Amino acid sequence: MVDGSAADEPSGGNSALGRRLDRGDPATFPEWFNTRKPRANLIVARWVPLALVGLPVLVLFCIVVYPTVWMFYHALHDTNMMRLFQSNWSWVGFENFATVLSSPRFGDSVVHLGIYLTFGACLQVLLGAALALILYELVKNNFLRVVFLIAMVLPMMLPPSIVGVLWKFLLTPSNGAINQALLNLGLIDQHIEWFNAGMSLWTIIIADVWNWTALPLLIVYSGRVSLPPAVYEAARVDGAGTWTTLRRITLPMLKEVIAIAFIVRFMDAFKFVDLVFIMTSGGPAQSSELPAYIAFQRGLREFAIGEAAAYAIIIFLVSAVLITLFLKYLKKVLKAQGFA
Amino acid sequence: MSRSNYGLVKYLFLAFMGLWLLITLFPFYWQIITALKSAAETNRTIPTFWPEVLHPENFVAVFAEASNFNALVDSFIIATGNTLASLFLGTLAGYAFARFPRQAGGENMAFWVLSNRMFPPVAVVLPMFFLFDATPWGTDSHITLIILYLVFNMPLATWLMMVFFRDAPRELEEAAYLDGYTPLRAFFKVTLPLVLPGMISVAMLCWIFAWNEYLFANLLVGTNVRTFTIVIPTFTHGSQTLWNLQMAFSLIAMLPPVILFILLRRYMVRGLSLGVVKG
Repeated sequence: MVDGSAADEPSGGNSALGRRLDRGDPATFPEWFNTRKPRANLIVARWVPLALVGLPVLVLFCIVVYPTVWMFYHALHDTNMMRLFQSNWSWVGFENFATVLSSPRFGDSVVHLGIYLTFGACLQVLLGAALALILYELVKNNFLRVVFLIAMVLPMMLPPSIVGVLWKFLLTPSNGAINQALLNLGLIDQHIEWFNAGMSLWTIIIADVWNWTALPLLIVYSGRVSLPPAVYEAARVDGAGTWTTLRRITLPMLKEVIAIAFIVRFMDAFKFVDLVFIMTSGGPAQSSELPAYIAFQRGLREFAIGEAAAYAIIIFLVSAVLITLFLKYLKKVLKAQGFA
Repeated sequence: MSRSNYGLVKYLFLAFMGLWLLITLFPFYWQIITALKSAAETNRTIPTFWPEVLHPENFVAVFAEASNFNALVDSFIIATGNTLASLFLGTLAGYAFARFPRQAGGENMAFWVLSNRMFPPVAVVLPMFFLFDATPWGTDSHITLIILYLVFNMPLATWLMMVFFRDAPRELEEAAYLDGYTPLRAFFKVTLPLVLPGMISVAMLCWIFAWNEYLFANLLVGTNVRTFTIVIPTFTHGSQTLWNLQMAFSLIAMLPPVILFILLRRYMVRGLSLGVVKG
C-alpha cells in the first residue's frame, strides 16, 4: 500500500526460498502444489482462525458490548451515584427516556444539533467536495497539488484540544486576531462577542468547519483519484466539455463516495463534544449544548446515571442506523475499487 | 459555455481555493507568532500581527514547569502502549480475516469489527469509569486509556492489516511450508516482512489518534496521569491565560502528528482513507 515496491519483491530477504521463488522455477514445487485448489486453506488446525479472531473480539466485547449492555440496563432503572454504590436501584421502565425526551434541555440540544448538522456537517461536505474537485481538476502541477493538499488537510491532524484553544484565542472578543482583522478590513465596526449566548454555538461551528472540512475533502479527493482515466479519455474523444464531464461522469461516479462523506460527518456530529468541552462548556446558559455533551454532563458531573444512559442509548440508536448505512455504502465503494 | 468564459470561471474557482488556503493557514501563522511573543505583547488591546521582539526562549520556558514535560511523557506512554496493543490484536484478526475468511466469521464479522470504530464514546465512558474504578490501579492510570483507545484503534488496525495480508500472496506461505517451516515460522519469516511497510503506517495512524485523543482523557484521568491534551486547555497563571506559552506548548505537541501525517500522505490519499481513517 504505502510502498508498492515491497509487493514486487516477494523474496523477503536473502532466504533460499526467496531466491528460488524469484527465479519462478516451477520445478521447485511438487506436483500436488501446482495442481492444488487455488483457494484452499493454509494447513493449520481448525482452532487457529477462531483463536486469532477470538482474542480481539473478546476485547471488543469487554470494552464495547459490555458497556452498551450496561447502559441499556441502567437506562431502564432509576440509578444514580448513591444507588449505584449501594447496589440499590429499581426498575422504572421507560421513565428515564420520558424525562429526557420531555425536558426542554434535550429539545434545545436537538435544535442545536440541527443547526450544527446543517451549517457544520453539510457545509463541510459540500465545501470539501468542491475544494477536492477544484484541486484535482484545476491544479495540474504535481508538486503544487501535493503541497496544497497537505496544507488543506493539516487541520484534521491537530488534537481537538489544540484546535479548541487556538480558536478560543483567535476569537477572543476584546483583542482576538479575527476581530482585529475584520476591523482592519472594514467588515465590522465593533468587536463581535463570539462567546455570548446567541453566538457561542456558531463559534463552535466555525472552529469545527475549519477543523473537519479536511475529511470530506480527503475522502472525495481519494475517490476522484481512483476513478479510471479511460472513462475520461473516452469522454474527451467524444467531445464532452469540462462541465459535461463533471456533471455526467465525475459526480455520478462519486455519488457513493460523497454519500460516505455525508454519513461520516453525520456520525461524528452525534458524537461531537470535544470542542464544546474546550471552547464553551455548553454555555453560556446551555446555549451551545449538544446531546452528547449533556449525556456526559448528567452522567459524570451530575451523577444522574439512569438519565445519562437514556441519552447515550438515544445517541447509540441513531449512530447504529448511520453506521449500518455507512457500511452499506462502504461495501459498494470497496467492491468498486477492488478492496473487498 | 464559451471558452473564455470557462477560463474566467476557472480562475474564480482557483481564487476560492486560494481563499480557503488562507483561512486554513492563518490560525497556524497566529499560533507561531504568538508563541514568539512576550506575555505582555499577547495581552495588548490591539493585537500585533508580527512580534516586536522575538522570544524563542518561550519554547524552553514551557518546560520550566515539570508537569508540562510529564504530560508529554504520559501522552507518549499511552499512545505507544495503545499502538502496540492495537497492532498486536489487529494483526491477529486481520490475518485471520484475510487468510481464513469463512472460519473467522466472514465479511459480516469483519464489518462488525470495523463498525466499533464509529461507536459513540458516550455509551462507553460511563460504565468503563465504574469498571476501572473497581480495579486495583483505579481509573486514573495509563492502563485505562491504553485499553480504552482500543475502541477506535483496534478496528482500524484490524481492517487495514486485513487488506495488507490480502495483498501478500498466500502461495509464498504455502511454499514455505514445503521447505519445512512451521506455520508460525512461515508467518514471521515470509508474510510479516511483506506487510511490514503497511504495518508501520498502521502504527503511525494509530499512534496519531491515540496521541490526539481528548475526550476519554478528559473524563477518566487527570490527577496522577495527565495527557498533554488535557493540560493545554488549562494553561493559566492566576486568572490570566499564558497565551504565548500555551501556543508554544501546543506547537511542540502537534509536531509529531503533523510530521507523521506528512510521511503518510500517499497512503491517506489511497482509497482506504474512505472514512475508515476517522471514526
